Amino acid sequence: MSQIRFQASGLKVHQAADVIDSQITLDADVVIVGSGAGGAVSAYELARQGKRVVVLEAGPYVPSQAFTEDFTQSLHDLYQDQGGQANSSGDLLVLQGACVGGSTVVNGCVCFRTPDFILQDWQRDFGLSELTEAELAPYFDEVEKNLSVHDNGEHEIARHGQVIREGAKKLGWSVKPLRRNIRQCGLTGHCLSGCKTERKQSMLVTYLPWAQAYGASIYSDTRVEKVLTENGEASGVEAVITRHDGTVAASMTVKAPRVILAAGAVQTPVLLLKSGLANRSGQVGRNFACHPSLLVAARYPQPIHPWRGALLGVHVDEFMHPDKGGFVLEDGGFGLVEMTMLAEPGTGKPFMDYMADARYLSGLVTLIHDHNVGTIEWDGERKAINYQLSNADFPSMQRAIKAAARLHLASGASEVYVPASDKRVIRSEADIDDQVDSLENAPQHLRMVSYHPQGTCRMGADPDASVVKANGETHDVPGLYVADASLLPTSIIVNPQITVYALATRIARHMS
Amino acid sequence: MAMNSQYQAGRIQRVWQQGMARRQFLKWGLGGVAAVTAVAAGGFALLRRSPRDDMPAPEWATGLSAAEYHLFERARVVLLPVEGTNLVDSATVPVVQNVQTTLSFLDPVTRKELGAGLSLFDNVVVFSHGCRFVDLEAGPARELFDRWGEGSVLQRTLTTVIKQLVYSGYWQEPATWPPTEFDGPVSDKWGLPYLGNAPLPQDSPVASQQEQA
Ligand SMILES: Cc1cc2nc3c(=O)[nH]c(=O)nc-3n(C[C@H](O)[C@H](O)[C@H](O)COP(=O)(O)OP(=O)(O)OC[C@H]3O[C@@H](n4cnc5c(N)ncnc54)[C@H](O)[C@@H]3O)c2cc1C
Repeated sequence: MSQIRFQASGLKVHQAADVIDSQITLDADVVIVGSGAGGAVSAYELARQGKRVVVLEAGPYVPSQAFTEDFTQSLHDLYQDQGGQANSSGDLLVLQGACVGGSTVVNGCVCFRTPDFILQDWQRDFGLSELTEAELAPYFDEVEKNLSVHDNGEHEIARHGQVIREGAKKLGWSVKPLRRNIRQCGLTGHCLSGCKTERKQSMLVTYLPWAQAYGASIYSDTRVEKVLTENGEASGVEAVITRHDGTVAASMTVKAPRVILAAGAVQTPVLLLKSGLANRSGQVGRNFACHPSLLVAARYPQPIHPWRGALLGVHVDEFMHPDKGGFVLEDGGFGLVEMTMLAEPGTGKPFMDYMADARYLSGLVTLIHDHNVGTIEWDGERKAINYQLSNADFPSMQRAIKAAARLHLASGASEVYVPASDKRVIRSEADIDDQVDSLENAPQHLRMVSYHPQGTCRMGADPDASVVKANGETHDVPGLYVADASLLPTSIIVNPQITVYALATRIARHMS
Repeated sequence: MAMNSQYQAGRIQRVWQQGMARRQFLKWGLGGVAAVTAVAAGGFALLRRSPRDDMPAPEWATGLSAAEYHLFERARVVLLPVEGTNLVDSATVPVVQNVQTTLSFLDPVTRKELGAGLSLFDNVVVFSHGCRFVDLEAGPARELFDRWGEGSVLQRTLTTVIKQLVYSGYWQEPATWPPTEFDGPVSDKWGLPYLGNAPLPQDSPVASQQEQA
């Protein structure tokens, strides 16, 4: 194993700036599109089996040292569409990482296994009988160990988590520390801008360097435009390498009998639609779900400094099961720019007073188990994310807001700000129903963010109703696999990274 | 000319009212704004002239039309009053430059649609307030934002976009942070050591071979 050369820091990435030839052709056993959760895990698993692996990543390579811990700058540098990716109505920001390491670089480190009741739905409704809790447990065990997943220690529960925990206890609600993939958390609160000192165990500092140690090559600035087939089987991809000034540096063809799409739940279906592949079921790009989230902020009598300490500390799982509400509440830190996106207690002076007192605010993230009602479309020029909170899901959203308000009040908050387009402030239990029942399920009314796009190439046993099999291979095209959040046939309520890692591990192992 | 602009005004008002009536129209994003503006094209921009039309935009404002520059400059004043707080005066912060940078990331089609929406916002206020947004006093301008926040989808879209751009243009500047006690970047300040890449998993079959090798 003398060829294994493990780099202690950073990655060797082929970047647009290094390109000399205008046409590059490579041969590989496997070409992987995207270097995020699904792509990086697949790359490591296959490279360590001795396969020649090429990873193509559309985003730039940004080494940790270059992270700025400035949220606005990070949106521009590390996120899809410079942080501006939204649904067609513009009222749901769909955040995704777009850099080497993908969303795992900018995510909040929260780790949950897929709840068993979700796996049971998949077994019952999608014929995924293999995906039982017992079958997946070893994969979860392994990725959790690899990524240093652990329950937050007391020092990792910031002030905003402590007050929320107190409130939940008063209400008698189940509250637990979050589990996170982090080593020696620096408590900077800047997770969403990338972890500068390499403590977050993102793909950038784990599976990608490990894959590289086993010989995988990584190309950044390289957007795959088309999946190629020969005799109906996958045969490679075509890509374009673009410099950071927007000019094209080269076109690339990678010939490989195995193609793994791991470009994320928005881009993977776009790529299949552009390539005209794997869509016999008509399900490519359909069934988009995204856990539309709100950040419900509240003002406390004492300073909280919501930007200080670990970003996410505890969660309330009291309502997680769909029979009990189908939502989760997580305490969430935030900085000033994020605060402006949340809520407004009026224009002008009231807003500036609110911002001047930012240190007294604390936030709760609501995650709901939404239905798969959205679609991703490609019109030949632009992608469209068509998603509107369904009327079936609106009551869940209202229940989640009410629970967040109740929890803030029990935790001692004096004012809770409903993240709506109009002024809505809750000061006592008596205000909750008034302020929340009168919300409308209309575009541009709630300020929603999605961190968890999923479902657009769903797994299932029936080739007429799903895009890929339980082993990740598309029903229609032998050798063409999907190994990212597009797979999930239903929304999973909880943060999805661990599910993606576990499924990608399983898919790669089944490929050999 | 006068008749023409009266005719234009009537036409625009009809289109605008149609837009208002479409509260349930689901795909009402910036694309919808552009559609309204496209119908209302022509003499629209000159519906009511403003003294600001003769004031050039600064040289750096190459990514904004002059009208857009004036709109964001007015929105800055209206949306970011600091009297009675210890916050930094927005005139000392490059708010509109930052808005320009953010807009430069938009794809050309969306940018064009947004331009149309901004023009609509500036002009359509003439019907309710008798002057363009850029000439509106701060008080009525703030009431307008609040009222539109409760209004039609189109109104909510436009006010949200303008507010978000201006707010982030201001709060992204480090100069605005000290009065709030926001810490900004801390890793370097605290001297946190870099941990580097995580070690190769030791229980993977190949990794253990590597150890033996
Ligand atoms: C701000 C934020 C916070 C989050 N917090 C959490 C959390 O705390 N816990 C949790 O479990 N989950 C969290 N998530 C979600 C989690 O990170 C994702 O679910 C997970 O990373 C999805 O993995 P993926 O492989 O589907 O896609 P990604 O990890 O998004 O990777 C996709 C990659 O493919 C690249 N790509 C796209 N198109 C192409 C193309 N055509 N050619 C080449 N490359 C392409 C993209 O640039 C990107 O790098 C968060 C996400 C975000 C954005």
